[in-house]
Amino acid sequence: MRRTSAIVVATLTTTALALSACGRDSASGAAEPSEGKSVSEGKATGTISVWAMGAEGEKLPALAKQFEAANPGAKVEVTAIPWDAAHDKFTTAITANQTPDAAMVGTTWMGEFAGLGALDPTPPAIDKSQFFDGAWKTTEVGGTSYGIPWYVETRLVYYRTDLAKKAGFDTPPTDWEGLKSMAKAMQDKAGAKWGIGLQAGGVGSWQSVMPFAWSNGAELTKDDGKAYNFDTPEVLEAAKYYQSFFTDGISDKAAPATPTTEPDFVSGKVPMFISGPWMMSAVEKLGGEGFKDKYGVMPMPAKKSSSSFVGGSDFVVFKNSKNRDSAWKFVQFLSDSKVQVDWYKQSTDLPSVKSAWDDPALQSDKKLAEFGKQLETAKAPPSFPTWEQVIASFDSEMEKVTKTGADPAAALKTVQGQAESIGTGQ
Amino acid sequence: MSATAEKVPSRRHAARLREGRAAWILALPFCLLFLTFTLWPVIQSLFMSVTDTRSRDLRTPFAVEFIGLENFTRAFSDEKFLTSAGNTAYFVLVGVPLTMALALAAALALDKGITKFRSAFRLGFYTPVITSIVAVAVVWRFLLQDEYGLFNTVLGWFGIDGPNWLGDPNWSMPSLIMLAAWRNFGTGMIIFLAGLQSVPWSLHEAAAIDGANTVQRFRHITLPLLRPTLLFVTVTTSIGYLQFFEEPFVMTRGGPLDSTLSMSMYTYQQFGFGNYGYAAAMSYIIFVVIAIVTAIQFRLLREKT
Repeated sequence: MRRTSAIVVATLTTTALALSACGRDSASGAAEPSEGKSVSEGKATGTISVWAMGAEGEKLPALAKQFEAANPGAKVEVTAIPWDAAHDKFTTAITANQTPDAAMVGTTWMGEFAGLGALDPTPPAIDKSQFFDGAWKTTEVGGTSYGIPWYVETRLVYYRTDLAKKAGFDTPPTDWEGLKSMAKAMQDKAGAKWGIGLQAGGVGSWQSVMPFAWSNGAELTKDDGKAYNFDTPEVLEAAKYYQSFFTDGISDKAAPATPTTEPDFVSGKVPMFISGPWMMSAVEKLGGEGFKDKYGVMPMPAKKSSSSFVGGSDFVVFKNSKNRDSAWKFVQFLSDSKVQVDWYKQSTDLPSVKSAWDDPALQSDKKLAEFGKQLETAKAPPSFPTWEQVIASFDSEMEKVTKTGADPAAALKTVQGQAESIGTGQ
Repeated sequence: MSATAEKVPSRRHAARLREGRAAWILALPFCLLFLTFTLWPVIQSLFMSVTDTRSRDLRTPFAVEFIGLENFTRAFSDEKFLTSAGNTAYFVLVGVPLTMALALAAALALDKGITKFRSAFRLGFYTPVITSIVAVAVVWRFLLQDEYGLFNTVLGWFGIDGPNWLGDPNWSMPSLIMLAAWRNFGTGMIIFLAGLQSVPWSLHEAAAIDGANTVQRFRHITLPLLRPTLLFVTVTTSIGYLQFFEEPFVMTRGGPLDSTLSMSMYTYQQFGFGNYGYAAAMSYIIFVVIAIVTAIQFRLLREKT
């Protein structure tokens, strides 16, 4: 009896102690913008552990050989990790202080990892003006830059040139009205079932909606970049425009769960869609010989200016790296203009460094050059740690707007309300 | 007191102590493993569910605010969570009876009707259970495709214009229920088959002599004797279905318009967004629901004495 009460008392005391030890430090969070420490001179030495995802992870070791040849004392150990497992692996590694020296990081994770205090600020030796502005912004969290944009991608409008001629469009349109009448003409005159393939809400649909909003001059943050800003006339106008494609029957609101973009594009059933550079090889592979000349890409049509979405991956150095200076030297090597071109040839990842685009390898392909041009004005979403959660609610509201004809103004109000209750997480 | 009388109990006492110590030492490895890998996660997740833990607190798991039951009340005012609860109820209420009916029908057919190639059929019915959901999902997505899918092609032969199974919010859940029933009825079938084979033949014989027909014999002999089996299959199937996750995860990602978003799926999404406290609270809500549902089933299907 006495022993039980002793145990109870002990348990209660421990619990009370544990609970009173809880509570956040009030000072956390509000970090001032800062600049990274400089990197030592000379060649890189020692072992640099690097993580990279997907196809990049498989191809990076070949590129790292070049770095090792130039820095005989250094060894780069690349660990390839699958995209699905990457986010968990990073957060676990950060929690356990077991991070690699450097790593490729998805642009939308930057806010979260920087918020965890895991990333090392970019040293001043790296010149930010050499990168595309929108791409550089993906590395900035709360005014401080962490890492570099490694490679980029942006979204353009793909269209079938042969069918466009039939529809009466010899040159692609440049504004919103033009895009819509072209898509309509594709249906009326060129025998397309749907004028343009737009994603009817759902995961990732913001990547097709936001380019319209940005082309209308929308800013997704307010109060000096400290809060979300969805409920604006610019975004609303873009959402209404996007919705009109579905209400006018130009786009399919019940698109299949497994997208059939490539076959529909090749067969002419859906002769236009918005997507990134990887779609070029996909449609050419399916379309066979000569298909290359049957389609083109055009920049996002403008309302105020033409602006698209910039994605891709960043390359960062972790704060608790034991070989920090050498890791930054490796990152610096990756941002070299010539290395970026080499990397494009090996992986077809588009360079984030502007001067790399002057290389004949990228200039000779007209469609690719269009992507290069669009990148100059392309924008990145805000780097808040809660971005993924907030934009998921945007995606699900856009699904209602496109599929059930819900009011875009009410939808944006809901998104803004949720964004404010979730907060920026900074 | 004499010296001998005092010595005997103390020696016995020492022996008991030694024995106790040995028992503890032998049990220690298990206890340690149990405490670290089973009990600790439970305690930590319980702790998380009453705090505002987010992914950025992982490094300092105790530097979080204690917010009591706020996560739980928030869940019940979260429209999406309520939608997911409704979807889960729909899935369980339609899916469990359907799966059990299929399982029982298949078991009866194997027990009585099918005599040739019995093991081939048994294997055939059981195969979906042991096939990877990822492979199954790919095939089913093809079957359920709007225009060229096998389902709608076959329906077309009879002049029926089939729905856009996975793309239409009214049909997406029935599609998933169909898939789940097809995938899971094999387990129930095997257990029912074992139950059916333990029903003594002599009872059937006696009833037949008394003039009972097949339906009456099934109703009054087979079903009552199957009661424990029924209870077991109901409970395990319901627990599985209340946590349904894989089907929407691989087939629809919860869409279209959240029509297939299940409670587990929504919890998973919240974990993905880094809202560990909120997601942990939702897991405990699912746990409580499962406990209640199971208790009700035990009450309803217990042996009547």
